[in-house]
Amino acid sequence: MLAPTEIDKQASTSQGPALEVRNGWKSFGHVTALRDVKLHAYPGEILAILGDNGAGKSTLVKVLAGVHTLDAGELRINGQAVDRTSPRLAKQHGVSTVFQDLAVIETLDIAANMFLGQQIRRGWLFANRRRMFAEAADSLAALGVRVPSVRAQLGELSGGQRQGVAIARAVREDKPIVLMDEPTAALGVRETAHVGEIIRELKRLGKCVILVSHDLEFVFKVSDRLVVMRLGRVQGSRDTHHTDQQEVVAMITGLTGDDEATARS
Amino acid sequence: MSAPGASTTQSHLPANAKVDRGDTHLTALRRVALSPSLAVALTIGLFVLYGITQTSAFLNGQVWINLIRDASFTAIVACFVAIVMIGGGLDLSVGSVFSAGAMVSAAVAFHGQSALVAFGCGVLVGAGVGLLNGVIINYFSIPAIIVTLGSLFGVSSLVDHFSQAQPIAPLPTSFTDIGQHKLFGLPYIIYIAILVAIIAYLLLHSTALGWNVRALGANREAARSSGIRVRALSISLYVCSGAAAALAGALESARLGAGTPDVGNGLELTVIAAAIIGGTSIAGGLGTIPGAVLGSLLLSVLGTGLILLHVDPTLQELATGVVLIVAAGIDQLRRRQMFRTSARRALAAETP
Repeated sequence: MLAPTEIDKQASTSQGPALEVRNGWKSFGHVTALRDVKLHAYPGEILAILGDNGAGKSTLVKVLAGVHTLDAGELRINGQAVDRTSPRLAKQHGVSTVFQDLAVIETLDIAANMFLGQQIRRGWLFANRRRMFAEAADSLAALGVRVPSVRAQLGELSGGQRQGVAIARAVREDKPIVLMDEPTAALGVRETAHVGEIIRELKRLGKCVILVSHDLEFVFKVSDRLVVMRLGRVQGSRDTHHTDQQEVVAMITGLTGDDEATARS
Repeated sequence: MSAPGASTTQSHLPANAKVDRGDTHLTALRRVALSPSLAVALTIGLFVLYGITQTSAFLNGQVWINLIRDASFTAIVACFVAIVMIGGGLDLSVGSVFSAGAMVSAAVAFHGQSALVAFGCGVLVGAGVGLLNGVIINYFSIPAIIVTLGSLFGVSSLVDHFSQAQPIAPLPTSFTDIGQHKLFGLPYIIYIAILVAIIAYLLLHSTALGWNVRALGANREAARSSGIRVRALSISLYVCSGAAAALAGALESARLGAGTPDVGNGLELTVIAAAIIGGTSIAGGLGTIPGAVLGSLLLSVLGTGLILLHVDPTLQELATGVVLIVAAGIDQLRRRQMFRTSARRALAAETP
């Protein structure tokens, strides 16, 4: 296993952005999902990415998470250029992700899901199930996620419980950069507020949290800064406390032109 | 690795959020009661009980030794084919690979090499075919059923080509001893099969790798997102099943005292049937090694038992077919039932 402490150190000592995309392009066949995207997020910051369906939010998150590699442009993690990526490499660079589809295995139990691909071992070969059960139970209890038992299969859980497990997994990984794609999609009001608390707690620990959400109210409540995407481009970036929902909605729907165009004119 | 993020959020903890760390006795009991291994074991038991009431041949020790020895060949291959299937793949090539292992090891032994070298060469060839299967499946994105069907034909053809479809004999006794000698009255082969099954069991049920295999089979994308090296893992599973099939083939040559080129014909279907009867899901993600072993045993018990009961041998495979479909059907029902009752349980836990 990699040494996460070293990456932690890097993140906290570097003054630059924790995560940066420079002129990123990504196409799938004839569809250009990302056009010249520029993005940077700093340690201790909660950055929200907003945009309509098909604006390129999820593609951008998948690039940041290492699922997709940029066609052109540069992805920098902690100031280090990353040219070939995989989710495994992204994790090694200190990025953990809560995917929109949660990336959980329905036929495995909660503990196995919490430690997917990074099991606690006994020796170098054997999985230490007992410790995984105990630590999974601790993590879930600490985050207030209610599940019947850590031995319950993921397929038995409700959408909200699954979301809780996926978030708990990312929190437990304890990486300096946390990506969350629609973390409140399956949640009720109370649970959504709870996820907001978890995100603020991550910020307090000096982590860089990048949040993709449709829920404007939630974004305004928790984020420090927000970036609006439209048709694969970054439409603009705003300090959350110096903007309002009206302006952001205008940016999302394209009523306000993008920042660069405004600056040029 | 600790979870400081988790511990520091404790202040927000709702007072009654308690997570059960273990199984209650009842759920553990239910898990056993619903396991396909138990169903297969019960089927074997009932069939044997019925057989005993019909003919005393069912109580003959030698009959049982032969039967278990036959099952051993199936089980050695079935354990690793089951692991491939649990990992979301399929390996049809094991029939030809079994023959290839039989012929290569026989040829090497025939040319005066030691038994160890002969077995090693056979297993290496099997592992090589598995490697080729795995690489083509994972790097060229061709479905496993097609790639391994192709290599089933290809390897079988190569075996016939190099052997001119002639058996290789005689083989040195140092080689044939392994297939014919006994320890405490039981052939070595049975002990070897038990050893292979234990290795497969530990691999799938106790190692970190085993959990990755199940994740790979149930949801490859999620496995990849979680940082599992899905291609390397998948390829290694085909290497193992190829090696296991070739090992079983080499053992068969040692038992027969000759390398026979068509010795593995049709084995691939028997082995896959054994795995499925034992509860391995063709869709991946689910299955156990004890299930695969019991499935192999059930097929042998049925085969021998129907002969002892004087059932027309041409009807034997009908019985296999019926058992296979019934097993798959029970598995479907079981899974639906499992998710239904536990969904209720989950809902109860969520409501505070």
